[in-house]
Amino acid sequence: MPEVHLEENPQNITSAQMVVAIPSYREAELIGYPTTQAAQGLKRYFGDKQGVIINCDNNSDDGTKEAFFAADTEDVPQIYISTPPGVRGKGNNFKNLFRKVVELGAEAVVVVDADLKSITPQWIKHLGEPLFNDFGYVAPLYVRHKYDGTITNSIAYPLTRALYGRRVRQPIGGDFGFSGELARIYLASHTWSEAVSQFGIDIWMTTLAMNNNVPICQAFMGRPKIHKPKDPGSELGPMFSQVVGTIFDLMVQSAGYWMRVKWSKPTSIYGFGLGEVEMPPPVKVSQDKLAENFHKGMGVYREAWQQILTEPIFRKVEEVANLPAEQFDFPTQTWAKLLFDYAGAYNRKVMDPQQLLDSLIPLYFGKTLSYVRKTERMSVQQAEDFIENECMVFEETKPYLVDHWVA
Amino acid sequence: MAKILIVDDEEHIRFLYSEELADEGYEVATADSGFQLLERIEKEKPDLVVLDIKMVDYNGLDLLQDIRNKYYDLPVILCTAYDTFKEDMKSIAADFYVIKSFDLTELKNKIKMALETKLPGE
Repeated sequence: MPEVHLEENPQNITSAQMVVAIPSYREAELIGYPTTQAAQGLKRYFGDKQGVIINCDNNSDDGTKEAFFAADTEDVPQIYISTPPGVRGKGNNFKNLFRKVVELGAEAVVVVDADLKSITPQWIKHLGEPLFNDFGYVAPLYVRHKYDGTITNSIAYPLTRALYGRRVRQPIGGDFGFSGELARIYLASHTWSEAVSQFGIDIWMTTLAMNNNVPICQAFMGRPKIHKPKDPGSELGPMFSQVVGTIFDLMVQSAGYWMRVKWSKPTSIYGFGLGEVEMPPPVKVSQDKLAENFHKGMGVYREAWQQILTEPIFRKVEEVANLPAEQFDFPTQTWAKLLFDYAGAYNRKVMDPQQLLDSLIPLYFGKTLSYVRKTERMSVQQAEDFIENECMVFEETKPYLVDHWVA
Repeated sequence: MAKILIVDDEEHIRFLYSEELADEGYEVATADSGFQLLERIEKEKPDLVVLDIKMVDYNGLDLLQDIRNKYYDLPVILCTAYDTFKEDMKSIAADFYVIKSFDLTELKNKIKMALETKLPGE
């Protein structure tokens, strides 16, 4: 983890009460918009506080820094901090941010993605205001298309909810708020890893807030998150294993906590009164690609699955793989037990962790295909109900995880 | 035994729920509207609230917000005749959402779950 970072602080800001941070890598084209909206939010809703906008960048070579400084911030000061050349990773940007937040003595930090096209000044209000009202962590709550955020829907949300007992619908939402006090906790944590320094950072921050018993609320954003959407059947890149690997690492580190959690609790919700809720744009998904990736995995990872999964679950996966396309279904309880088997195998180090995580990807494609088929004719709200029911299955199945964690 | 506060403007619902939940061994208190609900909660100190959504003078979803703002972890079960209120995102601040029925099996199960919920450090 790099200790050195680069900084440009043209207004020589040495203290701030509130920070809006925008992490980035090569976002020259899009960063201007969220920067402007953030400035308007700070001025309109936090005019009585010393505010600053910080771009935490991975030393982008596309002019991100210049675009950030060129944005109209109506005299709200700006700071640019960066990892050294060659050091990438969203988490590394956050490490720099945590340091800067502590150095500035900020009470509240709001983070928004650099590729956000739907952000309004109210997002800053909704993510920031609860931090001045006893909450330590604010997760976003937006209406997303049923096929947007499938890692969240089928892994991150049901697992974190069943494990840590807090219902945070978007644990890897990318836009959130946290207190200066929590920044100190993050900075002092010994659970940092290579995956956390990359895309594992979001789930790491949410989970640490949960298992440090920090008061959490979810802020309603009113508008859907509109950013660069991805087809869930397309190449996942390293993000999948960084997020899931971080979830498993945190499970290993905090087994003493999650084993004592029974069922789950909601959080406070903040930020209503925004008028009519805007519906998200559709996300295209290729069912053929999902099916192809799942069935290919059967050939490639069969041996690994036999090592990782308990025999009944492995047999069930074979059964699912042999279903005719028109009847394809990945039962939720099988999926929950499968993920619990994976977590247990990760804990027991039955194979190289990266190999284990790679072998989960085709199964995730199979589960996603099943979800897409089942929710095809559902409205966004009906799909939400479907996900809530799946979460209940995870909670009900949790004793299976406890039984299989070490054995 | 746990104390449950039932907030509903329909008398027969309050009666039915009170009888059935008392039979389960719960201590039951009732309120016929959302009037001064926070004060009522302060006084009764219930372990759980069963809250109607559509009352004559009050919206249960707004009351839920008020409860959640003051009592972060007090279990609240929304109990309504309408499935459609689920579409309002305010409803996710409730522990559970139950459709009203004369068969109280689901409500009883959800009450049990909500009261059993345990997070370390509480």
